[in-house]
Amino acid sequence: MLANRPRILSVGTANPPDRYTQEEVLAKYRMPNKMVRSLFKSGHIRTRHLMLPEPDEDGIPRETQTELLAKHRKGAMQMGTEAIHKALAALDLTTADIDYLAVISSTGFMLPGLTAMFIKHLGFRIDCSRVDIVGMGCNAGLNGLNPVAAWASANPGKNALMVCCETNSALYVYDEKIGNGVVNSLFGDGCAAVVVRADPMDERFFAPRILGFVSHIIPDTWDAMHYDWRESHGKYAFNLARDVPYVLGTHAETPVSKLLETFGLKKRQISHWLVHSGGKKVIDAIKYTVGITEHDVRHTVAILRDYGNLGSGSFLFSYERLLHEGKVRRGDYGVMMTMGPGSTVETALLRW
Amino acid sequence: MRPFETLDYSESGDVAEIVLNRPRMNMRMVRDLTAVCDHLEDQSECKVAVFRGHDGVFSEGIDFEEFRPDQGMDIHGFNKWEKLCVRIERLPKVTIAAIDGVVRGGGVQLALVCDARLATSQSTLQLDEVHQGFLPGMATYRLAKYIGLGNAKRLIMQCPIIDADEAAALGILDEVCDDIDVAVGATIAAFGPIHTVSVALARRLLNESFATPFEHAIGNFLAAQHRAITQSAFLETIAKAREPDE
Repeated sequence: MLANRPRILSVGTANPPDRYTQEEVLAKYRMPNKMVRSLFKSGHIRTRHLMLPEPDEDGIPRETQTELLAKHRKGAMQMGTEAIHKALAALDLTTADIDYLAVISSTGFMLPGLTAMFIKHLGFRIDCSRVDIVGMGCNAGLNGLNPVAAWASANPGKNALMVCCETNSALYVYDEKIGNGVVNSLFGDGCAAVVVRADPMDERFFAPRILGFVSHIIPDTWDAMHYDWRESHGKYAFNLARDVPYVLGTHAETPVSKLLETFGLKKRQISHWLVHSGGKKVIDAIKYTVGITEHDVRHTVAILRDYGNLGSGSFLFSYERLLHEGKVRRGDYGVMMTMGPGSTVETALLRW
Repeated sequence: MRPFETLDYSESGDVAEIVLNRPRMNMRMVRDLTAVCDHLEDQSECKVAVFRGHDGVFSEGIDFEEFRPDQGMDIHGFNKWEKLCVRIERLPKVTIAAIDGVVRGGGVQLALVCDARLATSQSTLQLDEVHQGFLPGMATYRLAKYIGLGNAKRLIMQCPIIDADEAAALGILDEVCDDIDVAVGATIAAFGPIHTVSVALARRLLNESFATPFEHAIGNFLAAQHRAITQSAFLETIAKAREPDE
């Protein structure tokens, strides 16, 4: 049974070239609100890769919704190309070897979507199956990995590629309000790609099998995180409710317990935790509700510090760091966990 | 549960009792204690775990019988011991070390990971490892939190035998008593009502307190407090407080 489960064979990540410290973003624009400035200086995030516009003479950046959408497209094209090539090069594959392409994004709406754009520009075959998962937010990497794993299981030996592509700076709205300060000080741009394949006989790779998923949605908090049209700005804007990190934390225990129970495991048997770098508070909440340690969230905290919240691909940046650390052993279990709007906690169980 | 070679395990009401039945700790005892932790975490409904010794000895520390100098030394067993100590330190139970007699070395280390330490007045304590050429485990980390750096240096580097009264004055022991069973009963009563979630969260924050900078600790506290106030114990407290007076 286990041998048939699909495996994550490689991972590639990319970010836009421009990297800013929080102080540099503050210096670039006029941001007089002291509360907003203190958010930037809180210290949990040091640097982020962003695609930032030059401000007008009054220190205020002005981007229309049209310009933001163009940024989403450009960011996806640049970062997507790099992340996809890194993930494929690790396996000596090319885009022509990919049979199923899934692209996850919440930073802009396009029709045709990003899968069609990647196929047009990057040399994927025209009979490559594809799916675009749009608008599911930070948790969407696992909402995407679930059908990708299912497709891979149903098509043994064939290559599935999942790309989480988030140009979060294409969501930015500038004003002096604290709400936008939270958003603008938190999110960064990044893209992560993984190759998933089920090939029971092939033991060349030391790669984790995806054993299963458990989802959890909290309908009472469906509007705690939402992205919708802001008439006053003439563009879309993202809103985060104040208590949402702790509420997510409170609920995170439920799907984790269910996931472990399904496979007859105890928490102490999980060696690796790959938690979405949503923000300092939600990481703290998960430590004390799921009952995991600072060490368990070391990559989650480090990715937040170095990149900010990268949306759907964040947990894959942590996954990449875990692999580079070189401490994973055959037989180890890992839990992937992402949180986002809905409000949602998504979990997956891995075994190396 | 199967019987253990190195300890006796029993449960009575809310209380689990672990009696170390050999004076020195060997790898068998480390494995048995680890199995006890599994049971306490996975199955036991008990809210309290009491560790005891027997025949006037809580524990005399590590057993050198198993060491084979001709085969070289390795750190593996010490690592297993430290992992066990962390397991006990984080058990979802109130843990009590009930000392009646001699406690040395690893026995003191075990007592330091418990939530409360009680001893009879004739008991003596000693961390004797440094005089024997090795180290008293992570007592090197924990002891100074209880008694300050200067006192910890004296006890760990000079290895004095101290009596129960001195240990209590330093802050290692919570209480010195004549009858250990009476003291254990009173301590369990004092912990009650035991809300396992708030007990575990409070203990974790306290254990993290010396090592975590304030700006991280406050975030940890808020996350833990949010968890506590959404549990039934606190909601019941609120409901009771809001009841109209009789």
